[in-house]
Amino acid sequence: MALINIATHEIHCKIVYYGIGYCGKTTNLQHVHRSIHPNARGDMLSIATETERTLFFDFLPLDLGTVHGFRTRFHLYTVPGQILYERTRLAVLNGADGIVFVADSQAEKFEENVQSIAELDMNMRRIGKDLMTFPLVMQWNKRDMPNVLPVPVLERYLNRRRVPSFEAVASDGRGVFATLRTISKNVMAQL
Amino acid sequence: MEQLTNLIISDRELASISAVLLKLMNDTNATSAMLLDKSGQVVAVQGTGTRRNATTLGALLAGVFSSSREVAKLLDEKDFRNIFQQGVQENIYTTMVEEQWLLVIIFDKLTHIGLVKVLSKKSSDELGRTLERVRSDTTRTKSSVLNLQFRSSVEDTIDLLFRD
Ligand SMILES: Nc1nc2c(ncn2[C@@H]2O[C@H](COP(=O)(O)OP(=O)(O)OP(=O)(O)O)[C@@H](O)[C@H]2O)c(=O)[nH]1
Ligand SMILES: [Mg+2]
Repeated sequence: MALINIATHEIHCKIVYYGIGYCGKTTNLQHVHRSIHPNARGDMLSIATETERTLFFDFLPLDLGTVHGFRTRFHLYTVPGQILYERTRLAVLNGADGIVFVADSQAEKFEENVQSIAELDMNMRRIGKDLMTFPLVMQWNKRDMPNVLPVPVLERYLNRRRVPSFEAVASDGRGVFATLRTISKNVMAQL
Repeated sequence: MEQLTNLIISDRELASISAVLLKLMNDTNATSAMLLDKSGQVVAVQGTGTRRNATTLGALLAGVFSSSREVAKLLDEKDFRNIFQQGVQENIYTTMVEEQWLLVIIFDKLTHIGLVKVLSKKSSDELGRTLERVRSDTTRTKSSVLNLQFRSSVEDTIDLLFRD
């Protein structure tokens, strides 16, 4: 739920990156943090295990500056993707305005991706939202790997709703901003 | 379903929220008081200590609260509405305002937790009434802020900033 503060002239929106463990969610935020103009970002906060796997969430506040008198902010979060953290994902989803589903394009991750989408759908219902009408963008990540599935296959099974989707190599930054631009606009359009 | 609704806080509501926070802070002698949305966004802050880190604090405290509620559900505990984090110097007490907001009070060892609990319950009830007003006043103010001009400027800004 976006917060529009008429008194302080601020708009806040929350965007959550969802997907299986190791698919590249944290890498997306790291790229944004590294590449965006420093004035447009705050500090990135990562609550991770010793092996750099997300334990709770990553958090990156972005600030578009003042647009028509309104300070517009996007707060980016990632969920922890490992199976174990299902309830933590639900906690991080709370209050989201938009979702980026990051899929690991590798063939051997296909089934896990399918399960993760189904879990997201269920979690959204638990927090009283409908994924079928919610701002959502798909990212087909790790396109640089040798064993990736063709995009049409991913589209057919993971993107039944036919929302916007982007091929990405998050570790090189490819596709990261295209994804972020689209989800940000979709979220704003729903306000 | 609570789908795609925004909370729009007007000058008048923010003033009354700030007054409640200030009063709570003064009456309990706390270091700061914050009102957060359950999504982690900061609605209002009083007190000096937290202002600089307010954004990060908001994200963390809402995350902690939200995950402790999941713990409660797993234990079949229905009404898990407060958490108390106790440190050597600083203590943090977080309590829900309906199902939407979190009231956070940060205080040191000179303040007794019992006082914080009682007074924050009162403040939370008052904030609940403000929340009611915020909820009942939606589309009217929104359309005047989020006009076409605003929307197209935001899109331009997104294109300008969100690129390599
Ligand atoms: N080859 C390749 N590696 C990638 C790509 N994107 C991310 N990685 C790597 O994959 C590993 C896992 O990435 P993370 O971003 O930590 O994954 P995550 O989705 O945050 O994982 P969890 O925190 O466990 O949910 C890291 O070593 C990244 O560098 C990609 O597009 N191609
Ligand atoms: Mg991660």
